[in-house]
Amino acid sequence: MVLRIAHVDDDSDIRESIQRILEKNGYEVISYLTMQDFIDSLTSNANRPDLAILDVMVESMDSGLTTFANIHKNYPEIQAIFLTSLGDMIRPYFENQSHEWVCIMEKPVEPISLLATINERLKNHGGQAA
Amino acid sequence: MATTEFSWDKSTNQTALRTEAQDRVKLSDDVLISNIRWFVAFRWVLIGALIIFEILVLLASSDTFVKLGISEQQNWPIAIIGILILANIYYIIALDYLPSSSYNSPTINLWIQIIVDLICLSIVVHYIGSTSTPISFFYVLHIALACIFFSARESLYVTILVCVMDTVVIIVDNFLFAQVSLSALIDKHLSVENSSQANALLWMVFLDVLFLVVWYVVSRLSLIVRTHEYHLADAYKQIKRAQIEKDQYALLITHQLKSPLDAIRSKINLIKEGYLGDTSTEVTQALEQMDTRAKNMSGLILDLLRLERLKTNCCDTDQFQSINVNSIIKKCIDKLLPVVNSREITLNVAVSDFYYQCIPEQLEILFENIISNSVTYSHQGASIEVASHIAFDHADITVTDHGIGIESKDLPNIFNEYFYSPRAAMHNKSTSGIGLSIVKIAAENNKLKIKVDSEPGVGTTFTIIFSNVTSSAA
Repeated sequence: MVLRIAHVDDDSDIRESIQRILEKNGYEVISYLTMQDFIDSLTSNANRPDLAILDVMVESMDSGLTTFANIHKNYPEIQAIFLTSLGDMIRPYFENQSHEWVCIMEKPVEPISLLATINERLKNHGGQAA
Repeated sequence: MATTEFSWDKSTNQTALRTEAQDRVKLSDDVLISNIRWFVAFRWVLIGALIIFEILVLLASSDTFVKLGISEQQNWPIAIIGILILANIYYIIALDYLPSSSYNSPTINLWIQIIVDLICLSIVVHYIGSTSTPISFFYVLHIALACIFFSARESLYVTILVCVMDTVVIIVDNFLFAQVSLSALIDKHLSVENSSQANALLWMVFLDVLFLVVWYVVSRLSLIVRTHEYHLADAYKQIKRAQIEKDQYALLITHQLKSPLDAIRSKINLIKEGYLGDTSTEVTQALEQMDTRAKNMSGLILDLLRLERLKTNCCDTDQFQSINVNSIIKKCIDKLLPVVNSREITLNVAVSDFYYQCIPEQLEILFENIISNSVTYSHQGASIEVASHIAFDHADITVTDHGIGIESKDLPNIFNEYFYSPRAAMHNKSTSGIGLSIVKIAAENNKLKIKVDSEPGVGTTFTIIFSNVTSSAA
């Protein structure tokens, strides 16, 4: 079974890079421009991804964080990774949240570390690594 | 068509004078509780003084005290001491051990204290002399304290209570006895009695007016002080809000500045990793150089944000917590391992557990910067030692490298924000140059001292000095 990854970013260059890396490594990638598009897609069972890669500042300062809270509450089976230019600097916004399930990666996209993190995330949390 | 209305009217954010129910404005429970404790302590001192006085009375001959105006040993001081001791014990129990309810609050505790104290004072006034001595002026103390700790309205009630008590004591002392004298029908005695009654009446009116004037003046002053207090609290809230907005703005700017670089570097990575086909060595080399420059710039942008955050968070005491410094160092080393390994550097870490009151995030930034500095300025394949020394409540951590070292003329300036050392920059082309400024602010914020020993060509030791450390989490 091909693992499905959703990627939300308003930067088309980043979207294209991620898509290229992941598809070449056997994942199915669905890219979204806005968080709302992604959340809307979750209503249907067929589109639900195994993992979501979220930018933090899309549309607004914290849309990534609110989307994360939303999927963590409503779709706990979906793993999430933050891919943001700010890296660990957004950590203070996750006060009292478990470091175990908040995974933050700093842009730019480095293929090897991105693949390793995705693999680890899916393996450790019940998914099947590609 | 969507329409949005914009408004930039700041009047709602302005500090509004708390005109609503000003007469009911009073101090918070926390302040009341600390003052209840102070009152209780003060009362213990008073009780102690009364006990010593009583002992002296018992020991000394009655003649001496007659000369001093104290006629004979009486029981009322012992009763007062007893009442005050019991009451004081009750106040502490009510405050610390009884569950707080609508019948047991700091305000009620204070009210009971004031009433009991006033009753005791009235007894003292009665026995010592309500009109013949100035003892009644002690009532003023209660009015002043009530004005400080209670709302203007409540302190007025206390003042009225004081007036009533003083009036009752004067009436009991001068007029109830007068009825007995009237029955004697002795003219001379009667005229003396009349004159002393008139004096008592005058004294009573004078005291009551004085109490009301004191209440008015002190409650007015305390109202002004409280209004200023609220202004300060409001200003503090506004500063906090402004700091949050500033941080968000800094985040936004950092994001906007760094995003294009990240997009460029993502593309460079795609080419470097062969996702876009094969490239010649020259192209790969050029890409490496481009990536290094872009990476430096990204680092500088993030460091500027870090520096800004450290400067704003300097006084936020909420963030301080007791943390195991060893765990922070381990975390930093985990983060730096990829760089350490890539330069084939051996890290020898021997740090014991100890706890320090600090902002953990900032301590992490401090160690990350110092250790990564040591890695940066070490030669390929060298070693770095991280060690701890603990003595009583002092501890220090040393980070020693065997790298290029710092020249003695540069040493005093290394923590300056705009200091640039061409020698260091030559060795490390990817420095943002503000790493040690970040260390300095983190050290300042967390009350740490740093000592630097260095010899060019031999190496550098950074010693981070901690005081008031503990062996377990406080």
